[in-house]
Amino acid sequence: MLAAIRPAGQDLPVLLHIVGATLAFGALLASASFIALARGQVRLLRLGYFSLLFVALPGWILMRVAGEWIYRKQGWSGLPNEFKHAAWLRIGFIVADGGGILFLVALVLGGIGVYRLRSGKSAQLLKLTMVIALALALAYVVAVWAMTGKPGQPSLGASAPTAPGAPAGNTATTVAVTANEFKFELSKTTLPHGNVIFTIVNKGKLAHDFSINGKTSSLVSPGKSTKLTVALKAGTFVYLCTVPGHAGAGMKGDLTVN
Amino acid sequence: MSFQDWIFALHLLTAATLVGGLVMSWIVLVAQRSADTADATLSLNRVAIVATGAVAVGLPGTIGLGIWLAILRPQLHPWHGWAIGAIVLWSIATAALLRSRVEYAKPIKKAKVLLESGETGPSAELTALNRTSTGLLLRALASAAIVLIVVDMIYKPGA
Repeated sequence: MLAAIRPAGQDLPVLLHIVGATLAFGALLASASFIALARGQVRLLRLGYFSLLFVALPGWILMRVAGEWIYRKQGWSGLPNEFKHAAWLRIGFIVADGGGILFLVALVLGGIGVYRLRSGKSAQLLKLTMVIALALALAYVVAVWAMTGKPGQPSLGASAPTAPGAPAGNTATTVAVTANEFKFELSKTTLPHGNVIFTIVNKGKLAHDFSINGKTSSLVSPGKSTKLTVALKAGTFVYLCTVPGHAGAGMKGDLTVN
Repeated sequence: MSFQDWIFALHLLTAATLVGGLVMSWIVLVAQRSADTADATLSLNRVAIVATGAVAVGLPGTIGLGIWLAILRPQLHPWHGWAIGAIVLWSIATAALLRSRVEYAKPIKKAKVLLESGETGPSAELTALNRTSTGLLLRALASAAIVLIVVDMIYKPGA
């Protein structure tokens, strides 16, 4: 499904991001398992630490670098705050960056723990490393859920929301919106203020939505249509498709309200 | 999140569990190649069991939820080329993983026999079993098939 809603050219960074994340996830689990099941065996305790250092760390770096690459490719930094601070994206950044700091703490503690093993001291620090590794693995599960399920994003089949302050029966301006890969065509780009009914028709091959002034339509399947009613005061409003990568690929523009 | 979003999230979580389990099993496998005593072999097996558990959850979860998703999504179908390719690769990976389990069960069995007979020192026979090239090749084949599935899922050729 991912590729079906992703513009071309973003596949490689997504592949690297996923490979890095799964490498880190697997190595974190391996590290925690080695330390938890070591039963005092120095060899297994060391393996636990080296899994973290030589597999999980490169995986984390690959995941983070590729994630940043996707962020830039999809043009998130150029979008209004309400989009670039989406909940699922924030969860991803918190887990990746906050997790990165925890990762470093685990590496330092584990390194000292392995050093202490040489002089026959206890493996308490490595047990702490194991707890952090397990916590990070759990955090990655939450991140995978957030990045894939994208809570807060419109879903296929959801009903189109109606803007508050747009009472039925009032005179409203109707704007026909045609969505395609990767652009919107609007029947009018200058409107009088008041209620505006956007009729969105998807003539593309991918699912799209339409978002303006904090209101977002349902996700529209190819060949389908939906409506979005929004109350607009005078000003200039950015409209865009909130499907990741689509606005960056060209599905955004400005609407002037007099 | 819609029902389809939940299925998609679970599909990717089971896929992450599968690949994570494979990464774990590779770390164990590399360590196992230098294990020459019964004790070292059996202690590595404790971690291998966790990796096997992750793979056992990931393999059926990924394919089951993936096919379900392809049926639910109007623009996806299980008979699309990339979907059939993924199912074939999944079958190859599953068969190779099951067969490699048989190979890696041999050193475990041998290690138990050695321990029961009180032999705790290095064993050439056990080392040879731990360094099984058949098991290694089968695990490499399964891993290559899984990597190809990930590539196929992202690029979706023909979709």
